[in-house]
Amino acid sequence: MDEPVKTVNLTKDFNGFRALDNLDIAVRRNSFLGFLGPNGAGKTTTIKILTNLLSPSSGSAYVNGINVTEDPKGALTDLGTVVETPEFYPYLTPKETLSYLGELQGMNNDDIRRRTAEVLDMVKMSEWGNKRIGKFSKGMKQRIAIAQAILHKPSVVILDEPTSGLDPRGMFEVREILTELKKEDYTILMSSHLLNEVQQVCDDVVLINKGKLLKSGPVDALIASANLRRLEVRTYHEATDVQLRRISQLNAVSDLEPIGPRDFALSVVGGDEAQVNLLEELQSIGLRVVTFKESGASLENLYMSLIKDSR
Amino acid sequence: MIHISETVNPTGKKSVNVAPSDVSQIGIVVKYDFLKYLRSRRLVGMLAIVTLVLLLITALPPLLGNSYADDANEFINTYASFASILIIIGATLFAGDAIVSEFQNRTGYLLFPKPVRRWVILAGKFLASMGAMFLVLLLYYGVALLLGLAITGSFSVLGVESLLLAMLYATAALSVGFLISSVMKGTTGAQILTFALFLFIFTIITGVFTLSDVEPWFVVTYSGGTINYITQDPYPTGAASGVGPGGLAPGAVEMTSYYPDIGVAIAVMAAYALVSLVLAYYFFSRREMSA
Repeated sequence: MDEPVKTVNLTKDFNGFRALDNLDIAVRRNSFLGFLGPNGAGKTTTIKILTNLLSPSSGSAYVNGINVTEDPKGALTDLGTVVETPEFYPYLTPKETLSYLGELQGMNNDDIRRRTAEVLDMVKMSEWGNKRIGKFSKGMKQRIAIAQAILHKPSVVILDEPTSGLDPRGMFEVREILTELKKEDYTILMSSHLLNEVQQVCDDVVLINKGKLLKSGPVDALIASANLRRLEVRTYHEATDVQLRRISQLNAVSDLEPIGPRDFALSVVGGDEAQVNLLEELQSIGLRVVTFKESGASLENLYMSLIKDSR
Repeated sequence: MIHISETVNPTGKKSVNVAPSDVSQIGIVVKYDFLKYLRSRRLVGMLAIVTLVLLLITALPPLLGNSYADDANEFINTYASFASILIIIGATLFAGDAIVSEFQNRTGYLLFPKPVRRWVILAGKFLASMGAMFLVLLLYYGVALLLGLAITGSFSVLGVESLLLAMLYATAALSVGFLISSVMKGTTGAQILTFALFLFIFTIITGVFTLSDVEPWFVVTYSGGTINYITQDPYPTGAASGVGPGGLAPGAVEMTSYYPDIGVAIAVMAAYALVSLVLAYYFFSRREMSA
């Protein structure tokens, strides 16, 4: 089973609204896949079907080769999940919660004790292990959520926007945990809005919009194939409207955006030659260029370009 | 059936996850749901109500200058007449939000992606609620029967029969509570509906049918009346029409009192328990975590 997570023609309708439209995705074994798309693209719907929280209208979802809808118990046995921001039973402590969920997974008491200590240490919640979860902050709950997902050492982990709603410190801490997970032998599917984060930790990426697959593949290869660069330009004098219009009409240029009195950003399609040509064009229309540099995350450029094209 | 999922990572290390049998998982759900009743103080609250009811029924008669009944069955009758209300409160507390809370409080995001079948979750929660309810009833009847033995000098066998009927009625009430919990969107609404249904909606239906001279044998609260009637010796039977002592006044309505047949009542309560639970599973198994 080289693709432990797979969907085939996955379709989901909600009262006439098609949230997923024949979606095919696959996650390679022991890879970390970033699942991207704007709000309402269908990421959470896909994850909910993979975790048996929703039923597909048609098509299939597989975890470790087992159809989730036909045999949910079999499919979910070797899977750890964090879907949305789960709430916990407020009357239980983290240790009791992990014990409950570990027992349901079939872990024995010794394993539960040992792994509970390990995962609470990993998510930096050891000192809170015996406090009731009811009063925990969202960040603390999210860390416990990640702890329960990996408690039984599943081969597959599915994370739905694990840093969503967290403050910068919480996001940093969760990102550290993700980096730790990457070092181990998990196959991970993670949806996220944070493209820098995805670019940092993910091997592969799947981009969807309106329930349809836009692009998928290794992060580096996709960025290279996109052949799209974002550039920031500072000029000696403020560019006139006429000059800006002429720049935006250049074939290789898209997304021209003023970002200051003498600064603007744009995307240019092509490699180094396109970049040289653009610089010559800017000079030819009378702009005195002070700085001319690549900026922003490459994945973000690709994402924005693909999302724009699919609208 | 035990599910084993075995994977081999690149280092050759095998990781094996084995989901326990459905029966084992039911036991696990029961254990932690019962812990919920303990920690959320619902069970303690119910036991406090039981203590209060026992105190009031036992202490008030002598304080008001009345003597206790000489007969053990007659003595237990007063206690049995309050069992129904305890069951209604118990069904509201233990069943009303059992399922819907997993959706409304979003704990389902934690529980449902685990390798546990929906019917296993339902069965575990139901058994936990039955355990809590039976504990309450056993304590209530246990104290009442012992008081009867101490005061009248004899043991009420009919009191034990009343307890058994109360347990059956409680099972039916919990099942209906689980059905409501499976279809409602909010915990408060589910609990209010469970309470209202048993406290007065079924009572109104019973009253309307009785006024129309139709025995409401199919209403579960009517069947629940056997909890009280069983302690009367002989058991009241048939339909009795009655008017006031001064005869039927102009415009007054003649009332017919019906007494549920024990066999029919047991069948009705069992049917409510079974059908409601099956329906609860039907709705719960199809319910999605869509919000």
